[in-house]
Amino acid sequence: MKTFSSLFNIHKKGKFGDFENKNEKNLLKIEELSNLLIFQLVKFKSSNFEVKKIKIDNLNLPDPLKSSSNSSTRILWMGPDNWLVISSDLNLLKQEEKKFDDKNFALTDISHSRTIIEIEGNLTDEVIKKGCPLDINDLKQGDCANSVYNGMSIVIDFISDDPKKVRIFSLRSFGESLHHSITDACLEYGYIGN
Amino acid sequence: MLNIKCPYCGDRAQKEFAYGGDGTVKRPELNKEVSNKEWDDFVYMRKSLRGKHIELWHHISGCRQWFRAQRDTATHEIFKTAKISEEI
Repeated sequence: MKTFSSLFNIHKKGKFGDFENKNEKNLLKIEELSNLLIFQLVKFKSSNFEVKKIKIDNLNLPDPLKSSSNSSTRILWMGPDNWLVISSDLNLLKQEEKKFDDKNFALTDISHSRTIIEIEGNLTDEVIKKGCPLDINDLKQGDCANSVYNGMSIVIDFISDDPKKVRIFSLRSFGESLHHSITDACLEYGYIGN
Repeated sequence: MLNIKCPYCGDRAQKEFAYGGDGTVKRPELNKEVSNKEWDDFVYMRKSLRGKHIELWHHISGCRQWFRAQRDTATHEIFKTAKISEEI
């Protein structure tokens, strides 16, 4: 069976919006990220397991509202004793699941249930501000936050400050609406769909 | 915009939260004989206070945790929030 990314028929490549007479380096870049492993790690409330002992892909589980990352994997804090792991190493879950026993943890592969849109460019904050109530000026590289964008529940992962780059995650079923909202917000600045 | 301080995430906009009702209602004890009146009171009967009120809120588009908030139902001022396991 052939699999399709959630924005396969939606996301278009090229230049859109008010891009004319603007330096290409200053335009926003929008990309759909696919073929990533995404799994949720939850420690049960009844468990006394010390999570500081745990490492996934040699990364510690991050503190509240933070992320930890290396070249292939990012771990995001989702809530108390709840983390989201995103990795380009598709075998990571199989390698790591032995560390997590059923009495203390639940591991759930949700790779196919999310849409990920990456936005890059100096005006990224302005695009987020248009639909999201977060105080975006306080958020920097290494932060992550759950919030809403035009009413859709999202997760924002702040990848880098220079160049400004964020990833926005939503449920796959909201992917098309989120993509429409994000690209619509980008039109006045001009953007490149990659 | 009304801001609510989630005990886990800090100040966030109200649109990330869902109201969960009166935070002082206690369920009748388990395995105890419960009269129709007691059950009716627990399920349906609520006070509609004007002034300070303890409420349940859910950070549904955030950390997905329930917590208690002390709010003035007339002014919407929120005085205090606390984790479910904590006293308010």
